[in-house]
Amino acid sequence: MTRKQKRLTIIGGGMSVIGVAVLLVLFALQDQIVYFHSPSDVVEKQVVPGTRIRLGGLVAENSVSRGQGTQVEFAVTDTDHTVAIAYAGILPDLFREGQGVIVEGSFVPGNTVFVADTVLAKHDENYMPKEVADTLKEKGVWQGSEATQ
Amino acid sequence: MIVELGHYALIMALATSLIQSVLPLAGARIRDNGLMAVAAPAAITSFLLILLAFIALTVSYVTSDFSVQNVWENSHSLKPLIYKFSGVWGNHEGSMLLWILILVFFSALVAMFGSNLPASLKANVLAVQAWITSAFLFFVLLTSNPFNRLNPAPLEGRDLNPILQDIGLAIHPPLLYLGYVGFSICFSFAVAALIDGRIDAAWARWVRPWTLAAWTTLTAGIAMGSYWAYYELGWGGWWFWDPVENASFMPWLAGTALLHSALVMEKREALKIWTILLAIMTFSLSLLGTFLVRSGVLTSVHAFATDPLRGIFILCILIVFIGGAFTLFALRAQTLSPGGLFAPVSKEGALVLNNLFLTTAMATVLIGTLYPLVLEAVTGAKISVGPPFFNLTFGPVMIPLLLAVPFGPLLAWKRGDIWAVTQRLYLAAGVSLLVALAVTYFATGAPVLAGIGIGIGVWLIMGSLTDIALRAGIGNASPSVMWRRLIGLPRSAFGGALAHFGLGISVVGIVAVTAFSTELVANVAPGGKIQSGPFTLEFKGLKPNSGPNYSELQGAFSVSRDGENIAEIVSAKRVYTARRMPTTEAGIMTTGPNQLYVALGDETPGGGTVVRVWWKPWVTFIWFGAIIMSVGGVVSLFDRRLRIGAPARRKAGAAIAEPTT
Amino acid sequence: MMFWVLAAVMTVAVTISLLIPLARHRQTTTQVDDTDAYDVEVYHDQLREIERDVAGGSLSADQAEYARAEVARRLLKASRGENRSVYSSGGLGRIGQWVVILILPLVAVVGYLTIGNPGMPSQPLAARVVPAAPTNGGGDIRVLVAQAEKHLATNPQDGRGWDVLAPIYLGLNRMQESETAYRNALRLLGPSVARHTGLGQALFAQSGGIVTAEVQETFVAAQSLEPDNPLSAYFLALGLAQEGRTDDARSGFAELASNSPADAPWMPLVREHLVRLGGGEDMADQSAMAGPDAAAVEAAAEMSGEERMEMISGMVAGLDAKLRADPDNLPGWLRLVRSYMILGKPQEASDALARALEKFDGANEARQALMDAATQFGLEPKELEQ
Repeated sequence: MTRKQKRLTIIGGGMSVIGVAVLLVLFALQDQIVYFHSPSDVVEKQVVPGTRIRLGGLVAENSVSRGQGTQVEFAVTDTDHTVAIAYAGILPDLFREGQGVIVEGSFVPGNTVFVADTVLAKHDENYMPKEVADTLKEKGVWQGSEATQ
Repeated sequence: MIVELGHYALIMALATSLIQSVLPLAGARIRDNGLMAVAAPAAITSFLLILLAFIALTVSYVTSDFSVQNVWENSHSLKPLIYKFSGVWGNHEGSMLLWILILVFFSALVAMFGSNLPASLKANVLAVQAWITSAFLFFVLLTSNPFNRLNPAPLEGRDLNPILQDIGLAIHPPLLYLGYVGFSICFSFAVAALIDGRIDAAWARWVRPWTLAAWTTLTAGIAMGSYWAYYELGWGGWWFWDPVENASFMPWLAGTALLHSALVMEKREALKIWTILLAIMTFSLSLLGTFLVRSGVLTSVHAFATDPLRGIFILCILIVFIGGAFTLFALRAQTLSPGGLFAPVSKEGALVLNNLFLTTAMATVLIGTLYPLVLEAVTGAKISVGPPFFNLTFGPVMIPLLLAVPFGPLLAWKRGDIWAVTQRLYLAAGVSLLVALAVTYFATGAPVLAGIGIGIGVWLIMGSLTDIALRAGIGNASPSVMWRRLIGLPRSAFGGALAHFGLGISVVGIVAVTAFSTELVANVAPGGKIQSGPFTLEFKGLKPNSGPNYSELQGAFSVSRDGENIAEIVSAKRVYTARRMPTTEAGIMTTGPNQLYVALGDETPGGGTVVRVWWKPWVTFIWFGAIIMSVGGVVSLFDRRLRIGAPARRKAGAAIAEPTT
Repeated sequence: MMFWVLAAVMTVAVTISLLIPLARHRQTTTQVDDTDAYDVEVYHDQLREIERDVAGGSLSADQAEYARAEVARRLLKASRGENRSVYSSGGLGRIGQWVVILILPLVAVVGYLTIGNPGMPSQPLAARVVPAAPTNGGGDIRVLVAQAEKHLATNPQDGRGWDVLAPIYLGLNRMQESETAYRNALRLLGPSVARHTGLGQALFAQSGGIVTAEVQETFVAAQSLEPDNPLSAYFLALGLAQEGRTDDARSGFAELASNSPADAPWMPLVREHLVRLGGGEDMADQSAMAGPDAAAVEAAAEMSGEERMEMISGMVAGLDAKLRADPDNLPGWLRLVRSYMILGKPQEASDALARALEKFDGANEARQALMDAATQFGLEPKELEQ
């Protein structure tokens, strides 16, 4: 091979790898990302049942009830709207009523209950998931102090 | 008084670094040897000053001096001594001080052992190091000063976040920082070469051991961090594709690429410009990682407390250094002479392929990490990019790379014969294929991909063994000759093979645990039984217990296999007194490479307890493989040729000094 | 002073270390650095490596020949010596000296004076806790507590220590710790009325003023040891009231009232409850006595007279200071007013009340709570007018 051919081989190979990677990334960004919503968004925007979303807010007071086995039901609120959540599994250590949480899962068609498979509450006593904090600030119910967050 | 002396020393170090940033650079520019010579003592002095500051802070922690705000916020007089030490860097301010300490330590090493570097290169490298040092000293002094005082002093501290009270914390950040900051030397060398407009042959010889050392510690640091999160968070996962994890993984990917391209540069003087670019990129990603972790722009399961002002400050540092370096690169890269030629099928070609895939993989991780930020800034939509994204993008990019790994070491430099190499790998390929088929056949119900994945892991392991066997001359030499050759092999050959071997082990662990682990959530009452993997767990009930600074509820399980009692697992829900913070202490039983992982949940009204049990076959291989990779790095680092570095000055070409008299 | 001496020594040492290379090179006018010489050395070394590899058998003869040829080509190119650099020390070196001499101390001293705390001593905990006792005569209750905590951390089986510490925590409003201490004391020293009632109060405070089942159990245990204990009687009756068993609660309070002397400090509270429950008309005419609540009395009763006064004074002063800094704390104000009354300082009490009322100007609920409390604590209405 001539020098030019060698170079072309290398460049061509490189471009094709990068091209494939770009396609993969574009495809994944279409399909594999999860949008974050607040309970108000859910009510106002009518999330399509079955779509995976993240839902964040405060655990509503007196909403936690344990069902059979590992079933837990609770509600997440941003003080305007409240969404009922069903979850089976272990709740995080810092899961408490009034605490900010993020749940991930989807709505079951024909039902208003959000079925979560993941519940996140961060490992810091002052923690408020950032998305939740932003939403609550918009709603004007944020009481955390900026300096010590 | 030691506290204030430490504070003074820190400010003094800033003054010294400022001088070190300017005078040597000016000296190299106007060819003034006096000015250039300031660099070395300035670097050593900065190191001593910052060491003093660090010692002062450590003394404050050990003696529980709560008049130091940082100590008050992160320590407690009753904290065990080891956590008083590790608490020094268990918080933002202290960890930044450690970051700088490591940075100046590396500068001091260059200053002390750089006598065989051309004078202007050494002066430039140390000046660039001093820029970084100055920037971060400004950052620490202005936004995160660990020496802020409280008067009157509180009587008791607020304690270290309990999740950080762990031996993992004592080791993990320093290792990670050694890696991150180690790449700063490569960066400084790259920028110095661009300033000078030439790359000396000694350049690659210096950069390669630094890259290797940084890469080794970063590998170990990431592995530690992963294991720490695995047992401390109680979620049973070992990698979450979390922004903070990605922040350490991206420099690792770029650093791995740099390691391989520096090899080409040293041996063949090719890929010079690319290596320079990679060196800049790797450290830029380390800086980006620091920014992501410190600024709080991304939420993470591991983040420290964050502050927007700090974020803006680090962002400025980031823009100045990364922007500056890339601008310099754009301006000067073409002045560097191009390197040697090679055919696409050759060891160089294989290493280019490695670089191509690694940087592409790194780019996918970068996009996945930054995309949510960009999208939120542009459209306001909040999204999270989780494991599915990375599995779909990072995975497919890595698979061809892993398949290609065993070919690389066997190919000849400059012009290789791919068919000859393939023939030599027949055995390795055969074994891998058999294992893949066996896994697919026997592990009924497991995805087909599991067989392929484990086959790839075995392929890597066999490939590295083949490499060593062929170097020893297997098949065409007598055993004694083979032995002699094996002994005579350069350590770097073993190092490289070990690293690839470890990679294979990790791949096997990752695939096995992904495909075969089982997870079970159950609500059990005392006496209740759970089946997990080949084991039966019997819940013995909860009992209270208390430690030095916490109280806990322990849940005990007796584990039996085929009716025979073999072990007891204790998992606990712990509450740390000072912060009223609950944590889950996972109970882990290791049998061979497998682990049984039990996390305790809440008690339920019926007297039961929610329990989560994972059976994780081969899981320890993940970290075990990473350790082997690090060991490979260490072995390589002790290669005689690397230790020599650039040789001592030849007498004839030495500097001629003429007394003025 | 010592600090500045050391700082000066440090500054001078650093300055000198940077001046030495400048000064040394001033004696040298020119210096030739053949940059290529370094490369030449590297290539020589590479050639030696090739020989070693051949000897070790990891490189075949023809491969070695190939590599040697390549390195030799580079060696030849580098040997031409095109990259010689001539260095000299000119006038700029002198500027460098002045830069070091001026900038270094200037940045360090000005920087430090701006953000440092010159001369502020280190305050390790060990040095503060030990001498604190003799100099202050045990005045600072917090130091004593810290000392006791330290002692108990190393001797967690010292029941006496827990027993002493528990009521102090209670007084300092550190209910969680008080609970732990009482529990430890109970475990190590066995049950006693004081421990049970103390624990009960700590639990009561933590549950936010609810007599939970646990609180009730604790006071029942105390009552079984001493049936006439007024604290047990009070809290058990309160529990009944909270459960809505009004009649049982009323008879409980009435029994307590009849068993207690008329001037007992808890009587005003008991009367208030009786009035609220609708059974205390017969006692309403009795004068409302100034008095602290039962909890404080109980806590203070554990100590000698002097200790008690010191403890309470320290505690109250601390609370006062805290409220001046952070006045948004209604329960804190209530506690402060009450505490001044306990100490027999009605003047300070009404002063604190006035400040609180001023703070909560416009918040009628809070003001009402303050006024109610003040009456309950025995502040005269005319004092309230002030």
